[in-house]
Amino acid sequence: MSTQTTLETAVEEGRCGDRLWLYATYHCNLACGYCLTESMPAIANRRTLSAETMIRVVREAQELGFGAIGITGGELFMLPGAAETLAEIASILPTVALTNATLFTDRLLARLEPLAELDIALQISLDSDEPDRNDAFRGPENFAKVERAIPALLERGITVRIATTVEDQTEDELARLCVLHRSWGISDDDHIVRGVVRRGRAELAGMGVTPGVTDILPELTITADGAFLHPFGPTVRHGVTDLDLLVSRQVAPLERAAERFLRLVSDQPVGTDVARNIR
Amino acid sequence: MSRLRLLQRDEAPLPARSIYGADGSASPLKRSLANAPDLLETLLPFLGQIYDEGAVDLATKELVVVRVSQLNACRYCLAAHRPLALEFGVDEQQLAAVCDEIPLDSLADRERTIIEWSDRYVLDPGAITDELVARVLDYLRDDQMVELAILIGATQMLNHFCTAFDVPPTA
Ligand code: SF4
Repeated sequence: MSTQTTLETAVEEGRCGDRLWLYATYHCNLACGYCLTESMPAIANRRTLSAETMIRVVREAQELGFGAIGITGGELFMLPGAAETLAEIASILPTVALTNATLFTDRLLARLEPLAELDIALQISLDSDEPDRNDAFRGPENFAKVERAIPALLERGITVRIATTVEDQTEDELARLCVLHRSWGISDDDHIVRGVVRRGRAELAGMGVTPGVTDILPELTITADGAFLHPFGPTVRHGVTDLDLLVSRQVAPLERAAERFLRLVSDQPVGTDVARNIR
Repeated sequence: MSRLRLLQRDEAPLPARSIYGADGSASPLKRSLANAPDLLETLLPFLGQIYDEGAVDLATKELVVVRVSQLNACRYCLAAHRPLALEFGVDEQQLAAVCDEIPLDSLADRERTIIEWSDRYVLDPGAITDELVARVLDYLRDDQMVELAILIGATQMLNHFCTAFDVPPTA
């Protein structure tokens, strides 16, 4: 059976998703307490995928039958050509790109304008409607920057989703956050809420919950370290990548990694997808 | 101290978990190889065939493995294969000879000839002569020489790997 057919069957059976994830870089301008990847400005190993690699992987993913792309990190916009790379990727497959939205200068916003014509959403992290509470999770002035970035993106016709990572927020606080995103014109469908996953820095800090094997839908995830079972796999502790969810070191051609991924998911019990969207 | 992570079963990549026993144990060598799970798909079956009994009996194979590991001063492979050699029928005196504790002359003709050939194979393959091959062929068929040659190559590879990465005999 071809890899394409096997992928199609596995997606139909609910064994995996048809989204392929890319960890663009582990470098970040922030250093959130629950970060899965120990991302921070001074990170020693940035594990960056070149634009050429990402575009090659996405082209191969389309040929293999993947239906969508997710781009995460680290912070994608730490990479100089991120806007143009995103546009190229989104012209191949529907894309969601995760960002902390703190680097959107007027110049960058102008370079992002072509995204309005493409099937792409920028998924922006926001943890509270209260600036102080949000910034306690995500760093000083984070709220103010996000509050400026979201309307600026929406004005340019770019689709925005909000992602909230729940640690100790109250129900009221989350409800107020929903009021806030609705006030920007972002629907509840475009607000993703998930708990802190106890891996990476969150594990070292004793935060979050440990996901069970069937708690996270397998979605092939490509990083500079190899291919992983899902986007919560390639986490980092003490500067070292966790390998427990590594599927394949080889990612070129993508088909080799996809074959190994599909072999593994065919052996795994079908689970419930509780936390599909990283961060 | 190993220069590679010696992965425990629950830290190991999913495709590498099958190399661990039911109790989660695996040799330090396997635990280091688990860092590169793709290679295990072919490497372990290959090594399994090469080190298992084939056209050549296990005592001869282990004698050669210990000798090659001695020439390469591989602490890991000597610690692993000396007991195996005894288990598979190599006697104490043969073992002492290939470990340079007593002269190689103490070996019987067959073993001495095979070790002479394997020493040259490791140290200076260009110095292997037709005359030496003819003497080896008094004791081995050509396919058995091929099998021993591949065994020597695999052992060299593992000797260098364990020494370069300082894989500890026990961990
Ligand atoms: S959680 Fe996101 S924004 Fe925060 S440090 Fe990690 S990669 Fe950066």
